[in-house]
Amino acid sequence: MGFDSTELVIGDTNKASGLLAGYDAGGYFCELHGLGELAHTRAILDKLNALDLKALRQRSKDADQELFNLGITFTVYSDRMAIDRILPFDVVPRVLSKQDWATIESGVTQRIAALNLFLHDIYHDGHILNDGIIPRDLVTGNENYRPEMKGVDLPHGTYIHICGTDIVRNGEGKFQVLEDNGRTPSGVSYVVENRHIMMRAFPDLADGVAIADVDQYGERLMRSLSTVAPDGMDNPEVVVLSPGIFNSAYFEHVFLAREMGVPLVEGRDLVVENDRVSMKTTSGLSPVHVIYRRIDDDFLDPLAFNPDSALGVPGLFEAYRKGNVNLANAVGTGVADDKAVYAYVPRIIRYYLNEEPILDNVPTNICREPEGLALTLDNLENLVMKPVGESGGYGVVIGPRAPKSELNAVRAKIKADPANYISQPVVDLSVCPTLVSGGLEPRHVDLRPFALTGESTWVLPGGLSRVALKSGSLVVNSSQGGGSKDTWVLV
Amino acid sequence: MSSLLARFAENIFWIGRYVERAESMARLLHTTETYARNAPEGSEWQRVLDLYKDGTRFVDARGEVTAQSVANFYFLDRENPSSIICSIRYARENARSVRHLLSTEMWTQLNIFHAEMGELKSRDIQSPKLSEALKSIIIKCQAFEGIAEGTFLRSEPWCFYEMGKYIERGDQTTRTLDMGFDRLQVSEADPVASVHWNVLLRSLAGYHAYRSCHPAGSSPTDIATFLLHNTEFPRSVARCIGRVSERLGDVERIHQGYSSEAVEKTRRTLEFSLGTGPGGNFTSNSLHKFLDQLQTELGSLSNGIANAYFNYEEQAS
Repeated sequence: MGFDSTELVIGDTNKASGLLAGYDAGGYFCELHGLGELAHTRAILDKLNALDLKALRQRSKDADQELFNLGITFTVYSDRMAIDRILPFDVVPRVLSKQDWATIESGVTQRIAALNLFLHDIYHDGHILNDGIIPRDLVTGNENYRPEMKGVDLPHGTYIHICGTDIVRNGEGKFQVLEDNGRTPSGVSYVVENRHIMMRAFPDLADGVAIADVDQYGERLMRSLSTVAPDGMDNPEVVVLSPGIFNSAYFEHVFLAREMGVPLVEGRDLVVENDRVSMKTTSGLSPVHVIYRRIDDDFLDPLAFNPDSALGVPGLFEAYRKGNVNLANAVGTGVADDKAVYAYVPRIIRYYLNEEPILDNVPTNICREPEGLALTLDNLENLVMKPVGESGGYGVVIGPRAPKSELNAVRAKIKADPANYISQPVVDLSVCPTLVSGGLEPRHVDLRPFALTGESTWVLPGGLSRVALKSGSLVVNSSQGGGSKDTWVLV
Repeated sequence: MSSLLARFAENIFWIGRYVERAESMARLLHTTETYARNAPEGSEWQRVLDLYKDGTRFVDARGEVTAQSVANFYFLDRENPSSIICSIRYARENARSVRHLLSTEMWTQLNIFHAEMGELKSRDIQSPKLSEALKSIIIKCQAFEGIAEGTFLRSEPWCFYEMGKYIERGDQTTRTLDMGFDRLQVSEADPVASVHWNVLLRSLAGYHAYRSCHPAGSSPTDIATFLLHNTEFPRSVARCIGRVSERLGDVERIHQGYSSEAVEKTRRTLEFSLGTGPGGNFTSNSLHKFLDQLQTELGSLSNGIANAYFNYEEQAS
């Protein structure tokens, strides 16, 4: 199980001339060529190959300008100036076959089902802990575990309503899960906006190719959130809760509110009275039933969590606990997407679903366990070391590429606090042709599909393909020089 | 019932005000530039500082009053909150907060406008380029207004957008008239008087409109009366107050009959003041006092709207 069924066609060699004539994937699995050629990308490659480099650059420039004009930007603040930047957009799409997609869709759905059962269990009876499948202290001692959630019943038992699972593809083209983002995964706005830009800038490239539509995300999200409203309300008031315009993901918050046609509120717009949440309108208070919050647990409610939070709403948690309002995602999901708990997800899937995982994990050593620690310390130069408490790629050390001094530093850190680290072999991330200064060259990519869960799970056919723009780099995070690509799921 | 957040109503109101304010400032500077061609260095520019009571603030920040220094202060100075660049920045900041309620076209135009403002350098607004640069601002503000007219959903947000826009416009018309009337009085017997009348009217895009109502002859009182009371002229104070009243009525309907007594009282006071006025022939002094009163009452109306619709803290209790 777990193998994607990409069709490999051996035979035809690369085109002798054209834009891709000199392209060499360097032995990595290529998203458009596989390990030789892929039947499903042939038509797209032919069109791409026939393009003129100068024209391609011009269209790429136009696309960037359009993203900037539309304000699809994040803001960098310096002393006096606020500078708007776009997330670099690469014009060569990443293409997934129907079969690839079937694997991802079913694998992600399975994973989320297991994680929701896991979260319900650990905040109720704790069977999985009693049965010794996962160490108790790893869960209840986790800083993202919220004891306040014990005994709270949520509609349909759904904790992770919106999930953005990070998936990579190894040297053989097999998909593996790198991370479950079950708190507030971002990036879905780029999935939709990249498609719009792509269709405007390169209508010819998609001509005659049937691609799954990504436009229905907002409608689906609205439907999904409506099904988890308190007491099965018919027309619940849904809002998006944002930390405000200075947040780097603010554009996405706007996008979500627009696509759903709901208010984009901040903490100061909400008020809790008698354990019920309302928003302050021009004609007084108006009730709110479901909050898609883009604020971390800690900042949600100064009465329940961080008392210094000015972003949150006093009393919100109590209203939530009483079932008068629902939050997406639930409070306390962070324990399920923690890098340390991640290592146990295959066992969590087997435990709750009695199924084999459709998508494997990247093999992971847990440094809190003596065996994992020994293996890590003995193989630092071959492994990727990750602090479990960080996100956005911070603190990650890639053994084979790190200088000796960096390896020594991370060795000291791991010895000092082994529980804060996991290690994984370096994954030969797949590559995709990408427009860079030298023309079309291979660059490493990952994939973040977005899944919505109310009563059931739906996966947006597409996803955010992040690309490491630096030659040879494996770090795709936007905070560290990553860009994005449009992701085409063929139908 | 309304589901428009109080904060959004406020943001939208201020988008209307700031874009209008940028346009008015550009018009005023453009007019000043025209006058200044025939005046001693700095004297016309000093009037602008006096009009906005910015004299001291200006000298502290910039020193000598010259065409270049004053134009810079009101056009590109990021530290001066009444500069055009600040108005556009504030308009865009407010627009970012309510981006999800605006049409894509409105947002995109304002976003590009803002980015282009950021590119402007002091040398781009030096004479002889100043006039063109100001005209370009006026056209971009008008483009925004036109896009809003053509794409903005006519629901509650639109009402607050128009209220902001017309309160600001009414206020700016009184200020432009105040400054211009002074000149008309001084120069009535002067052969260049008609030049001054024309400049005043043109600065409010009212020359042809005025001429069509007054085909022959002109007096300062006629011009003042036209700019204050002519309800057909889009920039007259009467027309602006009328538009605000209409939108307040719309909001009352949306709120199913609920309206604020305090706002209604302020609005009636303003209508009454404008309707009665000083009457007869204006003198520079009587008109100045009257315009001051109108500005104060427009300010009260703006505050009243803020208290009734934006000030949710009080309302929640």
